[in-house]
Amino acid sequence: MAEATLVRAETVPSPGGGGIMRRLNMFTGIIVGVIVAVAAYKIGQHFWVENDQGNDQAVIAGEVGWVFGFLIGVGAFVAPVRWMLGRDLTHEDEMFLAGKDQGISRYFRFTTDHKVVGTQYLVLAMTTFGVGGILAMTIRTQLIVPGNSLLGGQAYNAIVGVHGIIMIVSTIIMVVGPWGNFVMPLMIGARDMAFPRINALSFWTLFPAIPIFLSIAAFGGIPTGWVAYAPLSDQAPPGIDAFAVAIILFVISAALASVNIIVTAMTMRARGMTWNRTPIFVVGIVASSLLGLIALPCFEVAMTFTLLDRSMGASFFVPDQGGSQWLYANLFWLMGHPEVYVILIPGLAAVLEMAPVFSRKPLFGARLAVISLIALVVLSILVWAHHMFVSGWAPTLAGPFMLSTELISIPTGVFFLVLIGTIWRGSVWTRLPMLFVYGFLWNFMIGGVTGIFLSDVPADNELHGALFVTAHFHYTLLGGAMIGAMGALVYWFPKMTGRMLNERVGTVAFWTVMIGFNIAFMAMFADGLAGMPRRVANYQPEFALGNFITTIGAYIIGIGMLTFLYAIVSSWRSGKPAGPNPWHAKTLEWFVPSPPPLENFEVLPVVTGDPYGYGEPDTRHTTHAGAPPLVDAVLVPAGPESTSEASS
Amino acid sequence: MVSDETDVLPLVLPRPSIRERLRTPSGKLFVSVGIVFLVMTVVLLVFSVWWPNATLPATASDTEEAVRLTMLVFAISAAPVMAVVWAVGYFSLRHWGHGGETPPEDGPPIRGNNRVTVAWLVVSSVLTGFLLVWGLSELTSTTTLSTSSSPIVIKVTGQQWLWSFSYPQNGDISSPDLVLPIDKPVVFDVTSTDVIHSFWLPEMGIKVDANPSVTSSITTTPNLLGTFNVRCAELCGLNHSYMETTATVMTAADFDAWVRSQGGTPTTATTTEAGNG
Repeated sequence: MAEATLVRAETVPSPGGGGIMRRLNMFTGIIVGVIVAVAAYKIGQHFWVENDQGNDQAVIAGEVGWVFGFLIGVGAFVAPVRWMLGRDLTHEDEMFLAGKDQGISRYFRFTTDHKVVGTQYLVLAMTTFGVGGILAMTIRTQLIVPGNSLLGGQAYNAIVGVHGIIMIVSTIIMVVGPWGNFVMPLMIGARDMAFPRINALSFWTLFPAIPIFLSIAAFGGIPTGWVAYAPLSDQAPPGIDAFAVAIILFVISAALASVNIIVTAMTMRARGMTWNRTPIFVVGIVASSLLGLIALPCFEVAMTFTLLDRSMGASFFVPDQGGSQWLYANLFWLMGHPEVYVILIPGLAAVLEMAPVFSRKPLFGARLAVISLIALVVLSILVWAHHMFVSGWAPTLAGPFMLSTELISIPTGVFFLVLIGTIWRGSVWTRLPMLFVYGFLWNFMIGGVTGIFLSDVPADNELHGALFVTAHFHYTLLGGAMIGAMGALVYWFPKMTGRMLNERVGTVAFWTVMIGFNIAFMAMFADGLAGMPRRVANYQPEFALGNFITTIGAYIIGIGMLTFLYAIVSSWRSGKPAGPNPWHAKTLEWFVPSPPPLENFEVLPVVTGDPYGYGEPDTRHTTHAGAPPLVDAVLVPAGPESTSEASS
Repeated sequence: MVSDETDVLPLVLPRPSIRERLRTPSGKLFVSVGIVFLVMTVVLLVFSVWWPNATLPATASDTEEAVRLTMLVFAISAAPVMAVVWAVGYFSLRHWGHGGETPPEDGPPIRGNNRVTVAWLVVSSVLTGFLLVWGLSELTSTTTLSTSSSPIVIKVTGQQWLWSFSYPQNGDISSPDLVLPIDKPVVFDVTSTDVIHSFWLPEMGIKVDANPSVTSSITTTPNLLGTFNVRCAELCGLNHSYMETTATVMTAADFDAWVRSQGGTPTTATTTEAGNG
């Protein structure tokens, strides 16, 4: 462990002792949260009358009470409160908050170390993917034969909605959460994020949202799907209140994380790391965070209005009281379309980061890739109304939105050029992360091409609201972004855990997921073309074969994901030790031990070139002490590198 | 940093012939990838012509015919794009299958290629422009009525969870399922009494949301006799899955007979009176 400390070596004993602060953790958070939630719910019941479906106001009060109770209980307000009392945190306290020498318990605390937060995000995302995946399996089981009576209409709709939102939240955090927090500061040569406490706050704000999402089931479910369209949401049971509170919380969390990531990447890059020398993954994370910061608050506004409509008698979205359902749809899709790029860009950037490492070639057209990322960010804000082509809203705008939507295929196409240009004539090192790059190339091509059909208004009139759309966005988000994210997990797993992921099991998982995925969603395309609507619990017999195949494919995906989970868990416990740089990559995170020490770098690195100088004797990313000498950069590293964690 | 170094050859003075260039390792790679590309293109073209035909339902209107043509054109234009990405991505390698503990020797340091990049951008822009022009002209042709024929207006109302259709030109008769005369333009005025539904005729390629307090119009001309599906394509609550009925397309004479049987006044076969909806 590094002995160098950030601020001062000698610490003053804290006057307050920080006794309470040191006792707070996730479990005290849950206890306080539940107490406050029950109290707030009871008070709500006292003041507001129950309607026929439940007590909206009491539910909202209870959920908000849970959030504040949890945040107080977990210790989110310790630092500001002590600062207000004039007993600011000592260096010792800061080190405690960063999780110094605490072992596993620091993962259950309000810990500020970016590596802890990244790991927390990873475990949270894997957990929510598990929940969303179980719901997906339930949906597919219901649809395995027509007329299945496994689920009632209400339960089915609720499961479809919760599956949707859980997966959206999980995919938004799946790369930015773990790797934007864990790897990005390492990659830019920083010792932590710009705002470590905000970093912890962003995670512990998201955490209480997950029980709220799950509580939707207890409050009657949501009949609306994850889009929560008004006016259907106005007549829904209080499940939708839980949904709205959870979304608001998620957006706050995402905004905190985004600001932190953007500021960190803007201001804390190592000396010499100009934007041209910044790894493409960092650029992608910043682009995605920026886009999320612009887009996601629209969802928060839409949900706030929904809550006001439901609990305070407002009528933002009530058509016969002067509101408009199109106001909701516009607000929602102003978030909804940029959001798919918020999901896609980090996965894409991870793929772009891995491709040069495993092709042993520089990134092809790196500057063009950055320009295309920016173009994606800008264009994706201007295409939202293609989700409303059939809504009846502003038919005259169909042409312009068709234009903007089809324009986005140009920057998207550039990424294929960058990828195949990087792979072209490469001598591919066929390790597991590279398989995910190839998987991405296959799935995302299909997802992209089917998107072109949907961008065409007359074709969209046929396909909108059909399973074709469902298959399309699963190809882009699951087959594209999530395959990229799984590759990123394999790629950075050694850095996070110090151990290699079991590649044999991982390869089996990769092929199982890929094969199951393509079976499931190809069949879903066929059903969509044949005219089967989305989100139905039952269908006509002519769709039976396609649905049966999709369900079988979904089960295969499920088996593949379980295999992948087994690979992760078993390797985390007892995988092969990785050493600092198992992939022989050139970005900065590989020059610190795996797992990295608390303050990452003993001596901050200086950057002298971009990190993709494969085959270039003269390009060298850093002069960091752990960096290989200039000559070795072009040779195959012959001897075993120093793998000891204490080497630095 | 050199950004557009051509990797194929260093800048030697006499430019070699194409045949010589094809004999270089890079040239051989180019030829083999080219062959894979052609094979993949053919396979994808066959697939994109055969597969939609195998899966799509009957084509029952002029709108749906236009949509089918569009899908075919898009699929055909997409096939070479997919083929080039996959062919280059999967078959352009100098070495494949090196999976040891240490990476293979570094590949050639190609950081970019201006000619390839420009060609890529030009081709993708031209393709996008073509798709856009195609889509816009198709949009115009499918959403505007020919002025020569007077359309039949049908008022479509969605409510949780059924459809109802009324015929204002035929004495305001109403029906729980849709009946249409063949080869006669129809304007659907679609609305809802509660939440958003979406009026969808899969075999006729039209869909428009049924919004409360708003009427949206959409037009088509059925051109195939038979019974087709009417579905709801927007999640509308508990029984959304069962919100479907049938659309029957019949001859003008049959349609008039049906209107009479419902107690309305037939107009289709006998008159050309313009009924403005």
